[in-house]
Amino acid sequence: MSAAIADIVACGVLSAAGSGLPPLAAALAGPPDREEAPDREAGDGGYPPLRVRPVADARIAERLGRKGLARLTRTDQLGMAATAQAIEQLGGVPADAADRTGVVLGTSVGSTGRIAEFTRDTFVRERPYMVNPSHFPGTLMNSCAGQTAIRYGLTGVNSTLSGGATAGLAAVRFACNALANGHADLLLTGGVEELSAESAWAWHRTGLLGRDVAVGEGGAVFALARGTGGRAPLARLLACELGFADPAQGPAAVARGLAGQVERALARAGLTPAEVTVAVPGAGGPAGWGAVEERALRSALGLPGPRRLRPHRVIGETHGASAALGLAALLAHWSTAEEPGGTGLVTALSPDGQVGCLLVGRAEQQ
Amino acid sequence: MPESPPRRVAVTGLGAVSSLGLGAGAVAESVRLGRSGIGPIEQFDAEGFEHTLAGEVRGFQPEDHLWRIDPARWGRSAQFAAAAARMAAADAGVSDATLAGSRAGSSFGTTNGESQVLERLAFASLSGGPQELPPALVGQADAGRISAAVNAELGLTGEAQTVATACAASNYAIGYGYDLVRSGAADFMVCGGADASNRATHAGFHRLGAIARDVPRPFDAERDGIVTAEGGVALLLEPLDAALARGARVYAEVLGYGMTCDAKHMTNPDAASIAACIRAAHRGAGIKPEDVDYVCAHGTGTPANDRTEVAAMREVFGERLPPVSSIKSMLGHTMGAAAGFGALVCCMALRTGFLPPSATVREVDPELGEGLDCVPGTGRAARPRVVQNHGFAFGGNNAITVFGEVAA
Repeated sequence: MSAAIADIVACGVLSAAGSGLPPLAAALAGPPDREEAPDREAGDGGYPPLRVRPVADARIAERLGRKGLARLTRTDQLGMAATAQAIEQLGGVPADAADRTGVVLGTSVGSTGRIAEFTRDTFVRERPYMVNPSHFPGTLMNSCAGQTAIRYGLTGVNSTLSGGATAGLAAVRFACNALANGHADLLLTGGVEELSAESAWAWHRTGLLGRDVAVGEGGAVFALARGTGGRAPLARLLACELGFADPAQGPAAVARGLAGQVERALARAGLTPAEVTVAVPGAGGPAGWGAVEERALRSALGLPGPRRLRPHRVIGETHGASAALGLAALLAHWSTAEEPGGTGLVTALSPDGQVGCLLVGRAEQQ
Repeated sequence: MPESPPRRVAVTGLGAVSSLGLGAGAVAESVRLGRSGIGPIEQFDAEGFEHTLAGEVRGFQPEDHLWRIDPARWGRSAQFAAAAARMAAADAGVSDATLAGSRAGSSFGTTNGESQVLERLAFASLSGGPQELPPALVGQADAGRISAAVNAELGLTGEAQTVATACAASNYAIGYGYDLVRSGAADFMVCGGADASNRATHAGFHRLGAIARDVPRPFDAERDGIVTAEGGVALLLEPLDAALARGARVYAEVLGYGMTCDAKHMTNPDAASIAACIRAAHRGAGIKPEDVDYVCAHGTGTPANDRTEVAAMREVFGERLPPVSSIKSMLGHTMGAAAGFGALVCCMALRTGFLPPSATVREVDPELGEGLDCVPGTGRAARPRVVQNHGFAFGGNNAITVFGEVAA
């Protein structure tokens, strides 16, 4: 097997299942319709008649405290709380390493709730510019990564990537490139997506979600490094491939495009399809795309292929965070799986054409 | 990522959709002459704003520039990106067949993504309730569609990365593309940025008191802010050896880049962090401060930015400050495309021999210190060999790219 492109040395995750890997593992092992007590019911609070799977506010506050939270967007809070967990596991970031440590996050458009509110204000206020100035930075996609860097004093590479359901892969690939080319030593990398009335309505209006799929939210952040500096890795990233298959060419072309990325990842890692022990498809939420993804998996891995882990069944469709939460789900699964070893494959595809995958090696000892 | 020896990276194609015209030639000519692209806001209803100027792209007909994608299916930012990318590929003389058969991808920066789409969604929700959100518009909202449009237009099968590091984003995108070509992970990367003029961005800067009375006057004693602007810009990167072998025109070599994060404040720039970014860029490019012949400044024209930027340069360059100017004096602030326009103008400056001006400066701010040559007025004939291009952003995101002359 070729060298890892990065090691995962810590992981923070926040989803409807809870905070950290153990509740996510428990939710994944439970029945698919397992229902956590929701913060709100479908149809409430300006929401459409659609099931939603929010992160309990108390879980964010337990990491960040309540002070100052109101000024942050929900996306900021989710990403920051997931990062907080990862940094706690690392035992903090030494001051002399802060300029070689950074944050790289994927998202769809940033804080949908904040953008909607801010833009609405330009229409309804007495003058269009009478917006809340302290809300302006939160309308930008890089708000969460910037705020997180401020909170932890991380002056190294800081970036934000957008790419719908592939945003988490985009962030991992950006981070691995930065590590490989010596721009940073440790990157807190992942994806974040908030649930808002606006995003729920957007899902509802497009009718894109499969039946029984809730709209979720969450964040997952992984401390990535080349070499673990003596730390035992949680897992090793063996390959991260991203490509493009124009949806205008039809779903079969998108499936071929994704299958091609899986084949490239396997070749890069020197693995055969049979060595993949678990696959985490990312496109289970949107109706139709799950079938495209399944076709790619069957083509690249054969039948019956590895077992499938389907996190959207327990945490909902999480869009810009889904690939990162898929990786967290894989680590959660491994934390409780009895059989040793294994290789995981996290796939994602966006209706806009981005297709990609992560190949992950389970750490020898957990 | 392969561990083979690094390859030198050339810029062989340029494309632009801007208030100063279409294509690199038009932009560079306007910049050399110090022309302004700023005029009355037309992209949104400016009634009620006290400042009503912007650097907008007028009369853009996307269907005239896009061969493959249907403009009706894409937001304005994606249209800008794809059109600029199409121009860059044509400019480089690289056919779609060559790109389709190569490891070719795109990386594009943006601040606000498909901001006009989000604005229309907000308005639809306000007027008819969220149950009236037009589904087709929802499907155009993700910022990741900016690079997706580029790949779809050019038929690229490599990655399509959209970097959302606000107003420094194009430099991140160019740096990322440079790394991929340099390391051998890609053979062509189309890099740049795009943003569209929109109400929320204008309102935000307006409310912060950061918008100029008339035009932006970077480095001027009476500078009073930015003018919001829009556009799309693209650079085609490929290995220098391959470019020379196919007889391509080489505008410049990408020598390297650097990135830092302030981690102090979301909107106030930080001189120490910018200085660290300049040093990182010099390290990446393998150059020393005295090698730099020109700096294309971030130069927004706000009092704080220009003061901080000059202070950071003095920290690195000491007494010998190279000529530094701001093309935002002509283009306005094109947000996520800004650093990409800086890169394009840097390439044209290296290739055709001039220094871009700070076109609107009337009296250089004495508080910026002695010996600041901000190239006032119009462009200056010169032969720069190494130039550096600044991009700084809200969120504390800083990225600087460095370009070098390639002897013909």
